[in-house]
Amino acid sequence: MRISRARALALLGATPLFAGCAFDGSAVRVGSKNFTESFVIAEIYAQALEGAGLRVERLFNLGSTQIAIAAMERGNIDCYPEYTGTALIDVLHLAPISDPRAAYAVVSRRFEQRYGIVWLNPSPMNDSQALATTRAIAESKRLATLTDVAGAAQHLRLATIQEFLARPDGLPGLQRFYGGFHFADVRTYDIALKYTALLDGNADISSAFTTDGEVASDDLMILRDDRHFWSAYNIAPIVRQAALAARPQIARILNAVSPAITDRAAQTMNAAVEKGQQDPADVAAAFLKRLRPSG
Amino acid sequence: MTKEMKAGAIRFERATVRYPGSDRNAIEDVCFECGGGELVVLLGPSGCGKSTLLRTVNRLVPLDSGRILLDGDDITKRDPVELRRGIGYVIQAVGLFAHMTVAQNIAVVPSLQGWGRAAIAQRVDELLRLVGLDPEVYRDRRPSRLSGGEAQRIGVARAIAARPQALLMDEPFGAVDVLVRTALQRELVRIVAELQTTTLFVTHDVDEAFRLADRIVVMRAGRVEQVAKPQELFEQPATQYVRELVHAGDDVYRRYYLHGRALLRGLEQ
Amino acid sequence: MNYLSSHPLRVAALAAGHVELVVTALAAALVLAVPLGLIAARRPGVAPWLLGTLGAIYTIPSLALLAVLVRGFGLGFTPIFVALVVYAQFMLTRNIVAGITGVDSAQVDAARGLGMSPLQVLVRVEFPQALPIVIGGVRIAAIAMISIATLGGYVGGVGLGVLIFNGLTLHQPQMILAGSLAASALAIAVDALLRLAERRAATL
Repeated sequence: MRISRARALALLGATPLFAGCAFDGSAVRVGSKNFTESFVIAEIYAQALEGAGLRVERLFNLGSTQIAIAAMERGNIDCYPEYTGTALIDVLHLAPISDPRAAYAVVSRRFEQRYGIVWLNPSPMNDSQALATTRAIAESKRLATLTDVAGAAQHLRLATIQEFLARPDGLPGLQRFYGGFHFADVRTYDIALKYTALLDGNADISSAFTTDGEVASDDLMILRDDRHFWSAYNIAPIVRQAALAARPQIARILNAVSPAITDRAAQTMNAAVEKGQQDPADVAAAFLKRLRPSG
Repeated sequence: MTKEMKAGAIRFERATVRYPGSDRNAIEDVCFECGGGELVVLLGPSGCGKSTLLRTVNRLVPLDSGRILLDGDDITKRDPVELRRGIGYVIQAVGLFAHMTVAQNIAVVPSLQGWGRAAIAQRVDELLRLVGLDPEVYRDRRPSRLSGGEAQRIGVARAIAARPQALLMDEPFGAVDVLVRTALQRELVRIVAELQTTTLFVTHDVDEAFRLADRIVVMRAGRVEQVAKPQELFEQPATQYVRELVHAGDDVYRRYYLHGRALLRGLEQ
Repeated sequence: MNYLSSHPLRVAALAAGHVELVVTALAAALVLAVPLGLIAARRPGVAPWLLGTLGAIYTIPSLALLAVLVRGFGLGFTPIFVALVVYAQFMLTRNIVAGITGVDSAQVDAARGLGMSPLQVLVRVEFPQALPIVIGGVRIAAIAMISIATLGGYVGGVGLGVLIFNGLTLHQPQMILAGSLAASALAIAVDALLRLAERRAATL
C-alpha cells in the first residue's frame, strides 16, 4: 500500500498555509529586556493590547538596551517598555536629569527625531538605580547614604552586573560625582543572582533598582542618594512610528494603563514573580483585572 | 491460449561497444540476424560480451558504432522508454519489486501502457497459468515469500505481460538449483514456441545452450565466432575455440541429446 | 511539575508553537534535501563532498549560527526557522542518499529494462523502498530539531524554549522544568510515532 498520491499532495499543499500563519506580519510585536520588571510591564502592555482585540507577538528576554533599540530600528519589534533614565544616558549619551518631566521631554523629543520612536505617557513608577545593603551591614558599618558608602568603599565588597560597571551613570559616574567609591572587591553576577551574593555574605554592597522585589523585604535597604546623582527612571511604552501609524489605537490602549504603574505596584509585582514564583503573565493579568474590574 | 504471432526480427549490423578508457572493445563488429519466434542463445565465457550485446538491444547499453534494427527500424530512432516496453527483459537476479505483490509485478508494463484494470487482472491470471503457477495462490503473494524457481517464473511472466516483440534473457536460470533449472528450461521452450516471441538468451552453460537453442551465437572476447544450429556447431565448428567449447565436458551426452532432440523435433512437427 | 499543572493551557499553546516551528522547518528542509539527496545518489562523486560539507555545517554550535542569522533576519520566527532547516539538511540528505543507493540494483535494472522512465523508476521502485530509511532520517532530524528549536525561546519568542529562557531570566526553576519536560515529551512522542511509520513503510 503506497501513500495515496492525493494525500501526499494535500499535505505538501497545506505546508505553505501552515507556514503562512507563522510568518504572519499583522501582529503587534512587543519586546522586553531580560529582567523581571521589564517582563512584567511588557506583559501588561501585551495583554492590554490583546484585551482590545489586537494580535500580539511576544519577543521577550532581549539581552540589553542596545539589542532592544536595534530591534526597534529594524522593525523586529514594535514597542517595549523603556526607562527615561536609560534612554537619556545609555542611548542618547547625555547627562542624567533627575527631574522626571524634564527627562521625559528630552528623550521623547530626541527619540522621535533620531529613531522615529514615539514615547507614550510615562508611568509614575521611578525605577532608579541604587545601592543596597543588608540592614545588618548598614548598622554595623554605619551606612545610610551614598556619601557614607563613597568614603567607606575601600573596606567594602561590591556585587553588581556588567552593565553597572560600563554605564556612565553606573560606578564610573558615582566615582566622578561623589568621589571615592573605590571598592576593595568588585564582582559581576547575572542580573537575577546579584542579591544572592549580598544575602549570602559574599558582598557588602549590591547595585540595585528601587523597584526590585527583594527591596520590599525586611533584610535589605536602599542607601539614600543624598546628592541626587541618579536620573529619573520612569518607564513608558515606546513605539515605532510606523507601527503607531498603522494602528493608532495602540497609543490609547497603552496610555490607559501607564498611570497605574506606581512604585508600589511595581515592587509588589516584582516580588510576586521573584519571591512568589508566579508567572509574569498571571501577575500582569491580575494587575489589569484590578484596573478594570468589569473585565 | 491463442498463438500470438510476432515478427520480432532483430538485426545486428557491425555493432560495436567500446570499454570507456580502454582500446579493447566490449563487443566488436557483431553481425547477425534472427527473428520469427526463434530462441537464439548467446554463448560464451564470462567477459566475452554476451550480456553487453543483449543490453544493446533495449538500449541499456548504447552502441558506439554500427546499428541494430528491430523489425526493420533503427532502435536509436525510437524513444528508449517506449522501445523497452515493447521488449521483454529478464535478469538472473530477477529483480521482482519487493514492495509489490506478484500480480502488481506482472502488471507493471501493461499498467505503464495504460491497460484497463479488468484487462490487467485477466492477463495476470493468464500469465500465471502459462508459467505453471496457480493464480489463486500466487496472485497476492510477496516476492519475499517465493522460491528461486517461482520468482524466475514470475520474472518471465512479467517480461512477456505486454506481449512484447522480443524477449531478452540474461542468464535467467543461473541462480536456481539444477532440478528447478531443467524444469524452467523446458517451460521456456514451450512458452517461446507458443508465443512465437523472438528470444535472445545469454548463458555460459553449453548444455543449457544446446537444450534451448534454435541457433547459437558463440562469442569470445567481444567477437562472434560462429552462428549456427546446435547440430551444426557440434559437427562443423568454425574455429578451434568453438570445437573445444562444444566438446568440452560431457560431449557423449551431448551427442545423444542432440540425436534425441532431433528425433523429438521430428515427432512434434 | 507545578508549572505544568498550574498552566496547562500556556504550556499547550507554546507546545503548539514549537510543533508548528519544527513541522514547517522539516517540510522546508525536505524540499531542499530531496533534490540534493537525489543528485548525490545519482552521482557517486558528489556524495562524499556534499555530505562532508553538510556534516561540517552540522557541527557549528547552534547558538553561534543563530547569532549570525539574527543579524541577517532579525528576531522572531525566521532566524530559528532557517537555523533548523540548515541543521536538518545533514541528517535528511544522508538518509535519502543511503535509502536510494541501498535499493536493490537488480530491481532498478529490471525497472529500467521493462520500460520505466527515470522518473517512474524513482517514484515506483526506488522511493517506496527507500522510504523506511528516509523516514528514519526524518525521525532523527525531527528529534534534533525539537531540541534545537528550544533556542527559539531565546531569539524568537516561539516554542517551549520560551519557558526555559524566561525561567532562567526570572529565576523560576518550575518554568524551566516545565519547558524541558514538555520538550522531552514531545520528542518521545514524535520518536514513537515515526518509528511506527518507519515500521509500516518497511512492510510495504
